[in-house]
Amino acid sequence: MNNSFTLEYHKKELPKKLNIVGLTLFLVGLVIIIFGYIVNPVRTAFNNIILLTFLISLGAGSLFLIAIEYVAGAVWSTPFRRVPEILSFALVIVPIFAVPLFFNLHNVFEWTHPQAFKNDVLMEAKAPYLNTTFFILRSIAFFAVWIFFFILLFKNSVKQDFTKEQLLTKKNIIISAVFLPIFAFSLSFSSFDWLMSLAPHWYSTIFGVYYFAGTVLCALAASTIIIVLLNEKGYFVDGLGGDHYYSLGALMFAFINFWAYIAFSQFLLIWYANLPEETFWFLQRWEGNWKFVSIGLIFVHFVVPYFALLSQPSKMDPKRLLFISIWILFAHIYDLYWMIIPTFSKEGIIFGWIEIGFPLFTLGLLIMLFVLISKKINLVPIGDPKLKRGIDFKL
Amino acid sequence: MNEKRLYSYTGIFNTPNEIIHAAKKIAEKGFKNYDIHTPYPLHGMEKAMKLKPSKIGYVSLVLGLSGAISAILTLFWMAAIDYKLVIGGKPFFSFPAYIPITFEITVLSASVITVLVMLFIFFKLPNNSHPLHATDYMKKVSSDKYGVSIQADDPLFNEEEVKSLLKSLNASDITPIYFNEEEINYKHVLLEPKFVGFLVLVALFTSATTYFTLNKLMYMVPFNWMDEQAKVIPQQPSKIFADGFGMRQPVNGTVARGQIPFLYKNNPDEAAKDLVNPLLPSVENLKLGEQKFNIYCSPCHGYHAEGDSRLQGQFPNPPSLHSEKVRNWSDGRIFYVITEGQNIMPSYATQLTPEERWAVILYIRALQRSLNAKESDLK
Amino acid sequence: MSVVDYSQELSVIEGRPPLRSIDELISKPLDSKPDKKFYIALSITLTMLITGVICLAFTFYYGIGLWGNNNPVGWGFAIINFVFWVGIGHAGTLISAILFLLRQKWRTGIARFAEGMTIFAVMTAGLFPLIHVGRPWLAGYLFPYPNQHSLWPNFISPLLWDVFAVSTYFTVSLVFWYVGLIPDLAVLRERAKTKIKKIVYSIFSLGWRFSNRHWQHYERVYLILAGFATPLVLSVHTIVSFDFAVSILPGWHSTIFPPYFVAGAVFSGFAMVQNVLIFVRKIFNYEHIITVDTLEKMNKIMLVTGSMVGYAYIMEFFIAWYSGVPTETFTFINRAFGPYMWAYWIMFSCNVIFPQLFWIRKIRRNIPAMFVIAVLVNVGMWFERFVIVITSLSRDFLPSSWAYYKPTLVDLGILLGSFGFFFTWILLFTKALPVVSIAEVKAVIDGSQPSHEAD
Repeated sequence: MNNSFTLEYHKKELPKKLNIVGLTLFLVGLVIIIFGYIVNPVRTAFNNIILLTFLISLGAGSLFLIAIEYVAGAVWSTPFRRVPEILSFALVIVPIFAVPLFFNLHNVFEWTHPQAFKNDVLMEAKAPYLNTTFFILRSIAFFAVWIFFFILLFKNSVKQDFTKEQLLTKKNIIISAVFLPIFAFSLSFSSFDWLMSLAPHWYSTIFGVYYFAGTVLCALAASTIIIVLLNEKGYFVDGLGGDHYYSLGALMFAFINFWAYIAFSQFLLIWYANLPEETFWFLQRWEGNWKFVSIGLIFVHFVVPYFALLSQPSKMDPKRLLFISIWILFAHIYDLYWMIIPTFSKEGIIFGWIEIGFPLFTLGLLIMLFVLISKKINLVPIGDPKLKRGIDFKL
Repeated sequence: MNEKRLYSYTGIFNTPNEIIHAAKKIAEKGFKNYDIHTPYPLHGMEKAMKLKPSKIGYVSLVLGLSGAISAILTLFWMAAIDYKLVIGGKPFFSFPAYIPITFEITVLSASVITVLVMLFIFFKLPNNSHPLHATDYMKKVSSDKYGVSIQADDPLFNEEEVKSLLKSLNASDITPIYFNEEEINYKHVLLEPKFVGFLVLVALFTSATTYFTLNKLMYMVPFNWMDEQAKVIPQQPSKIFADGFGMRQPVNGTVARGQIPFLYKNNPDEAAKDLVNPLLPSVENLKLGEQKFNIYCSPCHGYHAEGDSRLQGQFPNPPSLHSEKVRNWSDGRIFYVITEGQNIMPSYATQLTPEERWAVILYIRALQRSLNAKESDLK
Repeated sequence: MSVVDYSQELSVIEGRPPLRSIDELISKPLDSKPDKKFYIALSITLTMLITGVICLAFTFYYGIGLWGNNNPVGWGFAIINFVFWVGIGHAGTLISAILFLLRQKWRTGIARFAEGMTIFAVMTAGLFPLIHVGRPWLAGYLFPYPNQHSLWPNFISPLLWDVFAVSTYFTVSLVFWYVGLIPDLAVLRERAKTKIKKIVYSIFSLGWRFSNRHWQHYERVYLILAGFATPLVLSVHTIVSFDFAVSILPGWHSTIFPPYFVAGAVFSGFAMVQNVLIFVRKIFNYEHIITVDTLEKMNKIMLVTGSMVGYAYIMEFFIAWYSGVPTETFTFINRAFGPYMWAYWIMFSCNVIFPQLFWIRKIRRNIPAMFVIAVLVNVGMWFERFVIVITSLSRDFLPSSWAYYKPTLVDLGILLGSFGFFFTWILLFTKALPVVSIAEVKAVIDGSQPSHEAD
């Protein structure tokens, strides 16, 4: 059954200078990173984990958003679906950023040192899991799975632009349904690998869910930024805005609360039980001026976005929504910084040119990526049967 | 007076599109006091009627914030100021642990009071005496029709014009609604006998139940056979024994374990002769004797046993223990005095165990020696 | 592969019934006298209830020595049943609040009933702590009022959080339910034939008059209430999970407990709602309002929440091993292969394995099949609480004090009685109030909303 509905859509090219901006940021960042690896490889490697996990958040999170749209049968997000689709392309380049880390595992992960397991009952028990070979194999497997599902979903979606076959939607629904449980486990385990095992003694069953909350927020915020920017300039079709923005804002609001809920649960249970093998992780983040970073996290990641998104107008107004999305994206990086860097610098905050280099690089990379891919495909899934309903969507 | 007055003109529409159209037209005409009645909320009616967005969200925001703040302050006052109690090694003001309760109070105050505000302040309900009640119009709009009611108190109201307006909008059943002056202007009197009677009943009921709960129910024992065991309870009578006493005398001649009976009552000489101090003058014994002497003896005899006590002048002065007489007494004689008392000195048998008495005697001997040292002591 | 037309929105209510027929259909059980079937059902539930009451009376008379609780297992059926019933309530709030926020129109047919179930389930759950404290009339001490001891409750105890959470949850659910009932009571008031009915409905509908000036605020308040009820429902089961998780007992102290308990609660609640609705739609002829599509969507939610619970089981197991803490590792091995292995595998298969059958569309839409699976889900969820409570307690740190817990007949009688209590309320509810929201159903019938051309 084909989709009879046709839509007037004229593809507009993104401005040329965007590519130049992206390239400049990318190159500046690249130089800093290379220089950083020469001057201070340990610190750079830790920053590299922030970059890597951020890109996983962005890519896998966007893929999750696409999958959930298919499975839930949501229509309001269909007109914008290309944005998360392009963002999840990040998954294809993520493995590249894992490579420098694979060569620096020794600098970053305590458990790569054999003496870490000596005379330590707790560590001995996890030796079968925490070892370099298995670690690298797992990482490669997770990347492969994500890229596999990304290609399947992306291909079908792009193909639909031309064939307008409804069968492709059905196929994608099935692929998404299969993807979601796999996503749940692969994301959790990769968060255990890259983030939790930085402090190899520490464990928390909720950690995967905590990282997942941040992941979805990151993908949503990045998508919203691009959607608002492009939609206000008319890169999509007419009739979008208002209620669509509201839905994006409401979803972000929901996940801000979800993140806070999960973060609070994790903190409260560990604080309350006060077991030495758990509390040290939080104590480390309470030492010296890390205390201010920890308190700041509550405000940056919860209080400010919560009150900023609370009222209905702020979810509908593109300018405010844009500002909040940028804020949330920053908050996710802040969260990752808070999770990763205290392991490297136990005494206090460090912030310098290396820390700045990575975000510049990421930003440049994403801009270039977006411009490049948006040249090849339509920015609106014009063949999607749900598109008309999505454009007409009213609360 | 039972005069009927015009309240409004009503018209009925059959489809949602018609009523939206009608609402728009009426709002455009500039009517203010009119209302649309539909069996369920219609999308877009707010815009058609040109209503301002509902402000009730701010009510619940204020209520929620005040609920949160008052909860935190209350918990802080109760646990960290009024009655400090260390629980589980946590600080008095354990903020993370207060979040659950604060959250619940916030939700409770924000949601429940918002509803009350909406019903009783925004809508001014309950209002069963509204003119639209008990009309055919209400029956229809409650079920499957959509109605318009343009009120007579609108400045633009004109019977003929409204009728023709409704007709031009294709409304059916255009009917006027009348109301009874008395009915609408009925004022609730606070001291109405029925209401007062009701209040009295409520008061009686609550005080009775409170009394019963606090004074009876709270002290009711749900099951009590653990209290009624077939055993002797100290100080209680018992039917098992002929004399009715629960507590029994020991068999004659019973000696409690570790107790040596004092057999020299009223017989100081015998005691002086028979009793020998069993303790050696070791440091521990002397220390014990000093301690006990300072506690029990020194108030009268003085710290140095010279009879120069802190209580001098209040009683007949106690004798000095450095007198010739006492120095020549045997240990057994002193033991007798401590045990039985002498003149106004009471017995110290209950305060001092025999062993402690002997220790005190050792200490007294040491004190005596200090004032009457022998030559050999200097070597 | 058969394909649905994704460009069309599916109707929520089948067959575009006239609005007036909705009034008639939904108020029919209230206008007609209860029939024989009703009395048979009521007598069954009352028998169950009376059994429970008798067992309770015995307990009050002889003490809780009649229960199976023993020395290491101080928390037995009472807490299991409490957690189970609180969990059942969660589906109601999920349907009425969360699905409302997500604008899922299919919720309208089932929301009222699910909300009612929430209230009854929370009432049932509330009985158990009262029974367990031994002197229910002293429950007042749990509230911070200036009492004669001039002492305040322990605010950092999760059991006290429970008191606040459950009572708030009950109050807010009741208010939410009542707010939704007001327009329907007004409909009944307009339809009332007898004078007494008219008076009663007039009092409780507060003189509602379907004014759009009211609807405007009403809808906003409904949204706000849904917005509050959503975090509230999460908080309630989160706090219930804190009862266990703040301790340091292996198998209880796990940071995933809060979301895992919430997912489990929604899971079992949906199973219960689905079970009851299958009967309701048949008996009251609501097949076109509570459609198979609606049931299918509920089954999908069960599939999702069941898988979440499965995720939690696996994560707990993995982290217990990964932590390297011997007691943690032992507890989980003991759960799966120890003396309570039967309970663990009942739980695991009923909660994780059987619901996976809902991947198949045919089973999702087959009423007997989904009924059986949902019953199994409830069995499994009850056993989940059993496994959590009993296995962790019966074998804790000190092997010399390990003991096997066995419930007694009195325990089982009280459990049966709780079901009787719950279903008695449900039966009375179906005869006393509209079990489907009249106003909400009318609002989602095709063609009941103005078309965009009217703009």
